[in-house]
Amino acid sequence: MRDSLKTIFLGMLAVGAITAPALADGYQGAPRTMLFNPALTTCLRNTAQYKKPPPYTIGFSNAGLGDSWRVVMLDEIKQGAEDHKDVVKKLIITDAGHDDSKQVSDVQDLVSQGVDLLIVSANTEKALDPVVTRAMKQGIPVVMLDRRISSDHFVTYVNASDPMMGRLWAQWIVEKLHGKGNIVLLGGQAGSSPNENRMGPAKEIFAQYPDIHILDTVYSDWSPVKAKQVMQAVIAKYGHKIDAVWSAHGLQVPGSIEAFLEAGFKPGEIPMHTTADINGALQDALKYHVPMLEIGDPPAQGRLAIDVAIKVLSGATVPCVVTVNSQIGLTDGDETPSIPHPDRAIKDMVVPNGPPDLLITNDLGPTYNPATAHIQYPH
Amino acid sequence: MSISSPAKSPTFRPSPHVIRLGLVVLFIAVLIVIGSVLTDRFARSTNFLNIYEQSTDLALVSLGQTLTILTGGIDLSVGSQISLLSVLTSGLINGDGSLVLPVCAGVIALGVLIGVVNGLGVVFLRIHPLIVTLGMGAVLQGVALLYALGPAGSTPDGFDALAYSRVGGLSVSATITVLLYLLVAFLMRRTATGRAIYATGDEPAAAVLLGLPVRRVTVLVYALCGFFCALTAIYLVSRFGTGQPYAGTYYTLESVTPVVVGGTMLSGGRGGVIGTLLGAYLLSVLNNLLNFMHVSTQIQLIAQGLIIMVAVSAYVERKKVA
Repeated sequence: MRDSLKTIFLGMLAVGAITAPALADGYQGAPRTMLFNPALTTCLRNTAQYKKPPPYTIGFSNAGLGDSWRVVMLDEIKQGAEDHKDVVKKLIITDAGHDDSKQVSDVQDLVSQGVDLLIVSANTEKALDPVVTRAMKQGIPVVMLDRRISSDHFVTYVNASDPMMGRLWAQWIVEKLHGKGNIVLLGGQAGSSPNENRMGPAKEIFAQYPDIHILDTVYSDWSPVKAKQVMQAVIAKYGHKIDAVWSAHGLQVPGSIEAFLEAGFKPGEIPMHTTADINGALQDALKYHVPMLEIGDPPAQGRLAIDVAIKVLSGATVPCVVTVNSQIGLTDGDETPSIPHPDRAIKDMVVPNGPPDLLITNDLGPTYNPATAHIQYPH
Repeated sequence: MSISSPAKSPTFRPSPHVIRLGLVVLFIAVLIVIGSVLTDRFARSTNFLNIYEQSTDLALVSLGQTLTILTGGIDLSVGSQISLLSVLTSGLINGDGSLVLPVCAGVIALGVLIGVVNGLGVVFLRIHPLIVTLGMGAVLQGVALLYALGPAGSTPDGFDALAYSRVGGLSVSATITVLLYLLVAFLMRRTATGRAIYATGDEPAAAVLLGLPVRRVTVLVYALCGFFCALTAIYLVSRFGTGQPYAGTYYTLESVTPVVVGGTMLSGGRGGVIGTLLGAYLLSVLNNLLNFMHVSTQIQLIAQGLIIMVAVSAYVERKKVA
């Protein structure tokens, strides 16, 4: 009993200390997913075996860029290294261009460059599993960031809670439709963990309502352009039968809404969408009266990953999963029993005249612009 | 290497192809020197052993591609073949160790069959191989996506040893690949079929007049290309632990790069597989060096493109001299 109390206490300390530098706005306490977690204890990882004196060389194997979320996340991780340049001697970044084969080689190359710790954002969760598992076996601690591998062979996983996002979006849609209607699942990149770990749990919610029908599942590769193409095909097929679009992020939402508009849907007729982070989706929600639930996937987790990496290298106990808190935003009048009131109204979150690809959830300051920013970092 | 080269260079000067091979080796040496000067950890044995391992997939698929290009053709379905065969490999094995051998045998047989269909299409439809294989590629990609929209199935514990195991530091799969190259190089030089492959690409009309089995040879090279696609697919499933319906996308054009860099002419009839192996090593060393120099992926793509252009233009010079 005493031991388990100690574990809980240590866990709360570890979690509290780690979440402190996260988002400035809204709820900032221990992750809500931890508060709602029905288990008596949370999983903690002892990292004493990885303890070593600074300065540290940290390797970051990135799946790739290619969308504005990942550009901002990369800037956040650079800022994290800059914040801690007293102990982080070098941050080596590789970019796999969304090619599994290159990322496997990248991880091997970072290991042979003698990094003290690896941060990996895996392009697809299964393909990177063998090589990450091997790095861990060689004694190099691995922190997964945003995109995990399928096994648990890593020290900890920094992310927003994908299943929580997926389930809440689904439950809200079910309640808005009073348990009856037709849904399109608009995924991101098939096989990537944020997509799989949001879509799978969402389907489990939908499955509990026999009158909810999933018309189609399509993938946008997190791109508004591709989303528009795939949604045009879906709209041509189902038209006004579509009651809701469950989208795995906001990146693809403006493309989907554009497809509805071009198919002749008037403002007020476009079915409800779920979203995250992207300013353009919120602008569209207000402009075209699209009911919308936003659950943030803050790119600030990149900055947090560096904090966590330093904790691991200093031998501190860390949670097995480090969750950043997602703020919940909603269009006015779309409250449901599960979302009785949002953290913030979408009309207050949106940057009305800001660029559509702006991430409202970044924490790099009001003047930060991903297109022009040049973040200094030790390398 | 080419049977036509002795006739074209009656003096004892090295043949153009040997000069090309020398240039590729020189390129690799230059990259290694640059790497050793610029970064302290590049020229270590652990890194060279990594590069050796990392060349395996590209080397395997490019071996088959070399053969189709030597006949004056090309196989643009290799990417989709690898995608389909990889997703079938892990999907059908699905974690059951007892299914590894039968599924791998079936996948290899299917690869050969796809190649035979490609070859028959080229021979009997009399359409350019580019179009036949492009069409086949689209069909196979569709089938792969019908089978699975994302990663399918799983592999049993220990299956990753195929891709990652090493003996004396040397990657086993990379060494098997080298042995396959040596075997094909030997057969190309020493068998009538090997010489017929060169003749088909060099002067197809003459090859027909000489009574060479041009049709049979054409079907054979596409079948072999399918065989090597199947081996690549199985290797990738071992390396990634799963097959994916887009696993092969990058290989369609990438498989042509080592062939061209290695001195095989796209017009067919000239070149050889050893050049391709060296070309695959050159690209692996380049990618690794750019990673060690912390060059961004975008710049890496540009550097690769420039190297290809420099390499190919260097050969054109040589051709004129010869």
